[in-house]
Amino acid sequence: MVTQSTADQATAVSDVRGADHLLLQASRHGRVWTLLLAVTAVLGTVAEIALPALLGRTVDSLVFAQSSLVWVIGCVAVVVLLVLCDTLGGLAAGRGSAAGTAWLRHTMIQHMLALGDRATQRFSRGDLVSRLVSSAAEAGNAAAVVVWATLSFVPSIGSLVALWLIYPWLAVAFVTGLPILVVLLRSFARDTTDLITRYQRSQGRIAAALMDALGGIRTIRAAATLDREQGRVLRELPALSELGHGTWRAQTRISAQGALIVPLLEVAVLSVAGFALSAGHISHGEMIAAWRYVALGTGFGMPAMLLARLARARGGGRRVHEVLTEPAMRYGTASLPAGPGELEFRNISLVVAQEQVFDGLNLVVPAGSSLAVVGRSGTGKSLLAAIAGRLLDPDVGDVVLDGVPLSTLNRKEIRDAIGYAFERPALVGETLADVIGLGLHQPSADLIEQAARAAQADAFIERLPQGYRTRLQKAPLSGGEAQRLGLARAFAHNGRVLILDDATSSLDTATELQISSILTGQLSDRTRIIVAHRASTAALANLVVWLDEGRIRAIGPHRDLWRNPAYRANFTPGVPPAGSASPVDRIAAEETS
Amino acid sequence: MNDAQPASRSALREVRESLRGKRGVLVLLGLWSLVEALPAFLGGLLVTHAVDAGFAVDRPLAGLAWLLLLGITVFVGAWGTREVYPRLAAIVEPFRDDLLRRVVRGALARSASGEHLGDDASGVARLTQQVEIAREAYAGLLMVVRGFVFTVGGALLGMLWLDSLLLVLVLPPLAVGLVFFFLFVGRMKDRQRELIMADERLAEGASTAAGGLRDIVAFGAEGRAADALGRRVDEQALAGARLASIGTARFCAVAIGGWTPLLMVIAAAPWLLRNGATPGTVMGALVYITQALLPALQTLIQGLGGSGIRLSVALQRINETSGSHTSCPALLSGPKSARLPDGYGVVLRNITFGYGEHAVPVIRGLDLEIPQDDHLAIVGPSGIGKSTLAGLVSGLIEPMRGDIWLGGVLLKRLDPHLVAQRRVLIPQEAYIFSGTVEENLGYLRPEASRAEMEATVEALGLHPLMERLGGYRALVRPSELSAGERQQIALARAHLSAARLVILDEATCHMDPVAEALAEEAFAHRPGSLVVIAHRVSSALRARRILVLDGTRAELGGHEELLVSSPLYRDLVGHWRVGNTAEPG
Repeated sequence: MVTQSTADQATAVSDVRGADHLLLQASRHGRVWTLLLAVTAVLGTVAEIALPALLGRTVDSLVFAQSSLVWVIGCVAVVVLLVLCDTLGGLAAGRGSAAGTAWLRHTMIQHMLALGDRATQRFSRGDLVSRLVSSAAEAGNAAAVVVWATLSFVPSIGSLVALWLIYPWLAVAFVTGLPILVVLLRSFARDTTDLITRYQRSQGRIAAALMDALGGIRTIRAAATLDREQGRVLRELPALSELGHGTWRAQTRISAQGALIVPLLEVAVLSVAGFALSAGHISHGEMIAAWRYVALGTGFGMPAMLLARLARARGGGRRVHEVLTEPAMRYGTASLPAGPGELEFRNISLVVAQEQVFDGLNLVVPAGSSLAVVGRSGTGKSLLAAIAGRLLDPDVGDVVLDGVPLSTLNRKEIRDAIGYAFERPALVGETLADVIGLGLHQPSADLIEQAARAAQADAFIERLPQGYRTRLQKAPLSGGEAQRLGLARAFAHNGRVLILDDATSSLDTATELQISSILTGQLSDRTRIIVAHRASTAALANLVVWLDEGRIRAIGPHRDLWRNPAYRANFTPGVPPAGSASPVDRIAAEETS
Repeated sequence: MNDAQPASRSALREVRESLRGKRGVLVLLGLWSLVEALPAFLGGLLVTHAVDAGFAVDRPLAGLAWLLLLGITVFVGAWGTREVYPRLAAIVEPFRDDLLRRVVRGALARSASGEHLGDDASGVARLTQQVEIAREAYAGLLMVVRGFVFTVGGALLGMLWLDSLLLVLVLPPLAVGLVFFFLFVGRMKDRQRELIMADERLAEGASTAAGGLRDIVAFGAEGRAADALGRRVDEQALAGARLASIGTARFCAVAIGGWTPLLMVIAAAPWLLRNGATPGTVMGALVYITQALLPALQTLIQGLGGSGIRLSVALQRINETSGSHTSCPALLSGPKSARLPDGYGVVLRNITFGYGEHAVPVIRGLDLEIPQDDHLAIVGPSGIGKSTLAGLVSGLIEPMRGDIWLGGVLLKRLDPHLVAQRRVLIPQEAYIFSGTVEENLGYLRPEASRAEMEATVEALGLHPLMERLGGYRALVRPSELSAGERQQIALARAHLSAARLVILDEATCHMDPVAEALAEEAFAHRPGSLVVIAHRVSSALRARRILVLDGTRAELGGHEELLVSSPLYRDLVGHWRVGNTAEPG
C-alpha cells in the first residue's frame, strides 16, 4: 500500500499539474479537430472585429460614389470567412470533445477495473459514475473551452480599440456605460439563487412523494386509493406554481433592465458619433461601424461564462485524475501448479482506518476441507475472506496457494483458481444466464442450469417470463434470490478454492440446508472458506476458526467449541442460550441471528 | 416492455394544446410584444433621420433630438419587456402544472396497473426532472419564436418604410434560410435524441460496472466488463460526433438567411442609389440587418435547435413513461356485479397463475378455502409464490385459470372500493407518506376517532414509537423512519380499518420477533380472518392452520399434522433444532 497521507500534501501542486496534463492529453486525442478548432476560432474572431470597419468603408465608398467594388468584394470575403469559421469551428469543437471525452473514459474505465473494490471504497459508486459520465465530459471539452475563453476577451477589447481609433471620445462614452452593466449582471446572480433553490426544493418534495407512493403502490392498489394518492402527491403543486411565478417576476426586473442598458449605451455612443460626424471628424460609414462596435463590445457575459466553464473543465480533469492516480493492485507472472488447493495464511497483518485488524495471523486450510470463519461482527471475517482470494492485499504477510504466494501469480491464474460468493452479490450481465456465467468463456447452458440447480435458484428462474434469458433489469429479485444467483455464479466457477462470505444470510432455513448439502456433497473436493453467522452453517464445516479482535481465539470443530458459552454468543447475540425460552421464541431468535 | 404505441403526441400538438383557451393572454402577449419590438422597428429609421436630417446636414441638435426619440423608444420597449414576462409566465407555469399532473397521475396509474414489472421507481421519479426540462425549454421556445417574429417583423416593416426594394433583396434569402433549417430540424432532433439515449446507456452501464467492481475482479471478468462499457463509450462518442456534423446545418441556415441579405444589400447598393435611395437608406438597411435580423435569426435557430429539440425529447420521454392512464384502473377486468358480498369468507377453486406464457406457473391448480374468522399462515421457501397467492386472494392479480370468490361473489365482479372495504392487504414494503401521524394511521379509515386510534396504538404497543414521532399531529418524514417503524405504522392502519379480512404479506419482516409476536397477537384478537404470509416460522406456530407451498404442491394442516406429513415443513421448522440444540453427530 502506498502511504497516502504524506503523498497528499506533497503532491497537491503536482496533482493540479497532472490533471491539467491530462486535459492536454485529451485535447491531443481530438487530433486534427483540436487544430481546426484553434485556427477557425482565431480567424473567426479576426473576421468578426474586421467586419464593422469594412462595412463602414463600403458605405463610405457608396456614399461618395467611389469605386466600391474592392470594398464589396472585401465584405463578401470576410463574411464567407466568418461563416466558414463558425461552421467548421462548431464541427471541430463537437468532434474534438467527443474524441477527447471518449479517450478519458476509456482510460478511466481501465483503471477503475484495475482498482476493483478499492475504487468503490475510495470514491463510492455514485461518485465513480458521475466522474466517468459528467467529469470526463467536462474535461473532454477543455480544448474548446480554453480556446474560446482565451479569445472571448478579444471582441470587447477589439471593439474598444476600434472605437478609440475611429474617434477617442466614442471609447470614452462606451467605457462610462460599462460599470452600470457590470453591476446589473451581478445583481442577477444575487436575486434569483435563493428563489431557484426554494423552487427546486419544492420540486424535490413532489418527486419524493411520488417515489414514496410508487414504493407503496401495492398498498395503494389494495386500498383502491389511487385518486386520493395522486392528489396527495400533487398537494405541493400550488406552492411550486407560486414559486415558479416568483422566478418569472425576478426575471422580469432583470430583463427589463437589460433591455434598457445596452440600447441606451448605443444611443450615448451614437450621440457622440453624430456630433463627430457634424464636425467632420468621422464619416457616415464610421458612424455605422461605431454602432456595430458597441453591440460587439457589450458581449461581456461571454468571458465570464467561459471562465466558469473552464473552471468546470479543469475540475472535471482533476476528478478524473484523482481516480487515475489511485494505486492499483499489481499482479505477478507466475502460474499455479496442479494441486489440491491448500491455502495458507502466513503472518498476515492488516491495518484498516488506523485500526489493527490482523496482527501476524497464521492459518492453514487443508486442501479439500471446509473452514468456517466465525466471530462477532467487526472482527474482520469479511476482510479475511477478501485476503484469502486476493481481493485485498494484507499490509504484511502472504497468502500461499499450493505453495505459490498469491501476490506472484498472474491475474487469470488467481481468478480461475478461486471462486467467491458474497452476502450482497453485485450481479453483472445482461441476462440471468450471463450473470451466472460471469468470467467464464462461453459457458454451456447445461453448466449454467446445473449451477442454478445446485444453488436452489432454478425454481424461481424458471418461473420468470423468459427463464434464464430474462434480462437482469426486468427481473425483480429479492435479497434471497440475488444471493442464490451469487451462489450459482460461484458454483459455476470451477476453481480449487471456494469462498463464501456470508453468502446464505438471506436464505430461509430449508434452502440453506439444501445449499449446505451441496457444499458437503457435490463440492466437497474444493477447499471451502465459509464466513458464517448461523450455528447450523458452522456445524457442517470440518473446522471452525473463531476470530476475536483480530486474533484467532480458537480453531477446532464446531462441536468442541460449542461448549464455550462465549463461542455460542457469536450466534445468538442478546438472546439467552438455547433451552431457556419457548420453541417459538427460540426459532425467532435463530432466524434473526 | 416497450409501449406498442409510441409517443404519438408531437411537441407541436402539445404546444398548441397548451395554448388553447388562453386567447386573452395570447392577445395581451402579442400587444406587449409589439411594444417591446418598437426599438427594433424604429431604430434604423430614427438613426437614418438623425444622420440625413441632422448630423450630416450640419444640424447636430436636430440629430440629437432624433436620437433622444430613439432613447424614448428604448424605454417604451423596456416597458413592453416588463409586461411580456407575466404573460409568458401565465402560459408556461400552467403548462408545467399540467405536465406534472400528468406525470404523477400517469406514473401512479401505470404502476398500479401492474403491467410494468421491471420499471424502477427512481427512473419514474426522474420524470419530474423531465418536466422541469420541458418547462425551461418551452419557456425558451416561446421567448425565441416570439422574439424572432416581432423583431424580424419590426425590422422588415422598417425596411419597407425606408425603401420597398429592400424587401426584394432581403426576403427571399431569409425565407430560403428558414426552409433550409426546417428541412434539417427533424434529423437534428433524431441525432439529439440518439445522444441523450447514448448518454443514458453509458450512465446505466457505468453504474452497473461501478457497483460490481468487486465481483468483476473476483471473477476475472475485467476484460469483458471493459469491452461492454467501452462499447457504450464509443457509441456515445459517435452520437456526439454525428450531432456535431448535423449541427453545421444551423450555421449554414444562418449564412443563407442572415448573412446573404447583408451581402445582397451591399452588392445592390449602387443600383438602389440609382433608383432614388439615399445613402441614409442604405445605412438604415445595414443597421436593420446587422442589429435586428441577423441576431434574431441566430437566436431562433440556436433556440429551436436547443429548446425545441429538448422540449420534444422531454415530452416524448414523459409520454412514453407516463402513458395515457390517468384514472384508477379497476383491480380486475370484466363487468361488475351489483351483488354485495355476504361476509368475508374466501374460496379459491383450481387456481393457476404464472408470470408469462412460457414461464413455469407459480401456482398450479390450487384449491383453498379461508372461512370467516380463520387464522391461516402460509409458509414455504422464499420465491415460491407466497406473495403471488396473497395478491390473488386480495384481487390484485387475476388467475390464469380458476375462480376466486369473496363472500360468495366472484372477486373479479366486485368493485375495487367495495373489496377494499372488506379486506386489507399489508405488503412487505409499507407505504408511508409525508403527512401527519394521524393521517398515516387513518389511511384506511380517515373517519376513525382518536379513541379508536388510541386503542390500536395500545394493542400494537406503539406508544414508544408515537412518543418518538411526537404525537398524532406530528409530521412524518418517510425517509426518517426505519423499515420496522414503517411496518408498525402500516400494521396499525390495518388494525384500525373496518375490513374483516386481513392479509399480512411479510408485513412484519423488518420488526423484531417480540414486536412481531405482539402484532400478530393483536390481530388474532381482532374480529375477522387473518392470513399471514410468514417470514419466520414462528408465525406459523401461532396460526390455526398452515398452508405449506413448495412449488408443485400445497399442503394444508395444523403444526403437528404437517410435521408428520410434510418433509418440507419439517425442514423449515426442524432445521433449527440441528443447529441450535441437538449437536451434530
